[in-house]
Amino acid sequence: MTAALRYEWVRIRTIRSTIWLSVIALVFGVGLSFLIAMGTYFSFRSSQPPRGSDLDGFGPGVATQFAALGAPYFVAYILAMIGVFAWGHEYRHGMIRATLTTLSSRTSAWVAKFLVVGAWVLVVAAVTMLGSVLVGVLWLHGYPVRLMTSATGAAIVRTLVYTLLLTWVAAAFTALTRNQTAALVLLFLWPLAVENVVTLVFTLVPALRPHSDLTRFLPFNAGSRIVNQFDKAHSVFGQPLSLVGALVIFGALTSVGMAASLTLFHRRDA
Amino acid sequence: MTVIEARNLGKVYSGKAAVEDLSFEVQPGSVTGFLGPNGAGKSTTMRLMLGLDHGAGRTTFDGVPFTSLDRPMTHVGALLEAKPFHPTRKARNHLRMLAAANGIAASRVDEVLEQLGLTAVARKKPRTFSLGMGQRLGLAAALLGDPSTLILDEPANGLDPQGIQWIRELLKGFAATGRSVFVSSHLLSEMALMADQLVVIGRGRLIASGPIEDFVRTSARNAVIVRSPQATELADVLRREAAVVEAVQPGVVSVTGLDAARIGDLAFEHRIRLHELANRVATLEEAFLEATQGAEEYQAHQLDEGGRA
Repeated sequence: MTAALRYEWVRIRTIRSTIWLSVIALVFGVGLSFLIAMGTYFSFRSSQPPRGSDLDGFGPGVATQFAALGAPYFVAYILAMIGVFAWGHEYRHGMIRATLTTLSSRTSAWVAKFLVVGAWVLVVAAVTMLGSVLVGVLWLHGYPVRLMTSATGAAIVRTLVYTLLLTWVAAAFTALTRNQTAALVLLFLWPLAVENVVTLVFTLVPALRPHSDLTRFLPFNAGSRIVNQFDKAHSVFGQPLSLVGALVIFGALTSVGMAASLTLFHRRDA
Repeated sequence: MTVIEARNLGKVYSGKAAVEDLSFEVQPGSVTGFLGPNGAGKSTTMRLMLGLDHGAGRTTFDGVPFTSLDRPMTHVGALLEAKPFHPTRKARNHLRMLAAANGIAASRVDEVLEQLGLTAVARKKPRTFSLGMGQRLGLAAALLGDPSTLILDEPANGLDPQGIQWIRELLKGFAATGRSVFVSSHLLSEMALMADQLVVIGRGRLIASGPIEDFVRTSARNAVIVRSPQATELADVLRREAAVVEAVQPGVVSVTGLDAARIGDLAFEHRIRLHELANRVATLEEAFLEATQGAEEYQAHQLDEGGRA
């Protein structure tokens, strides 16, 4: 297992896509928070700032580029592409045979890939969120806005969990399809098109409209609830889903994808 | 030193057997050539041997299957792809990655880069490499762990004549230290110079295995060439001795079924004058084409006079 981890560790650091995707995620996340904090700073200068209690959600918002308040967390999608490339490069460039004549244990190769990619995106996402909070603090230090609160900490942890699961889902898609283009399409098409179309159908078709709450169980819809702290849940699987309900549904998709990818990785020819 | 034993290998794709009940051995201290027409199942066999493809049978390296080897690169070095690397990972980084998984020192990476003549491009991305340079990097990876066995699929592809000569010397030198080399190639003339043993397959089945000399000796193209002003008379005499005689050109016949000494004696006994009596040894190519006749998976046809296939 150690050998596979060492292999993956060198692999992920010696490929340019890892670096540029990490930098894009960092620049996008911190940059967006920089703009938000700067806009807020100039808004406070030109008018009376709201009272501190009215800004309770501002820390989680700045840290997560408002994903904690319901916006999509784009940084996770950028980082999930590292998961796609982790498997995609193996099949696109015929590296899988070199990998399996270097490691010989398929289970170790599979586990190491998920662990190392997961650790990498966790670190980049954490740095992005802490950097986002930092630029917020630098812009707004003269105003009664508390950015580093327990709510911000909770938002960071929830967002890290979501980013990790999304990356593993993306990696599992790629290992299943053995085609990084197909996996990328699936990663973006499923949440952005398929689930939105299904939600729209439930909204537009009169017979389905009374059941539109069911769309909360769509896996990526559910996944976004891991990050979203804005709408308070009243029960685990109610409308909206609680953190636990969201983790169960999105975690189930991740687990099924990973289990299927491991099974097929063992069964298929390399 | 490693003995490779392949037993009853089999692989079926979509109901069609690509490799069928294939067994052979590769002995240490020898270069074993792996020959077969296109589509004969050579690459599939090599992948089966390394556990990359799932199929019937079992291959062991000194009794141990590849997938059970600890630090496999230090036991078996393999080259299966023309360009088995990511095009934008620098050559040295590619080898560092492989080395990291097998507990191989970074100094060994620089050593094989030097050995393979890749030091100048060690920090370049292989996407700019020619096919030959790619093969060298693949070979560097195979040699990285200083293994006791090499399994190479068409390693001479894309190499220039100097490169081919270099790889021949490399593999012969490797085998001379008591280690095993199992190598496939379409370059039969090269194989004739390089290999000591052969495994020949056609349509996934074993056709022959053993020393290269024995394989060539079985060819019907081994003959005695006789030049005589009394060729017709000589042919009649030889046919009575159950020899097969073919006219090559006026006054020259090719004889199989009798050795040169017996032909000379018969000519002498029948007072037939001979101008030339020479053994003609079949080439590996001739022996191979003869052995694999009808075993080609994909057969080309001659163009007709109008240039149509």
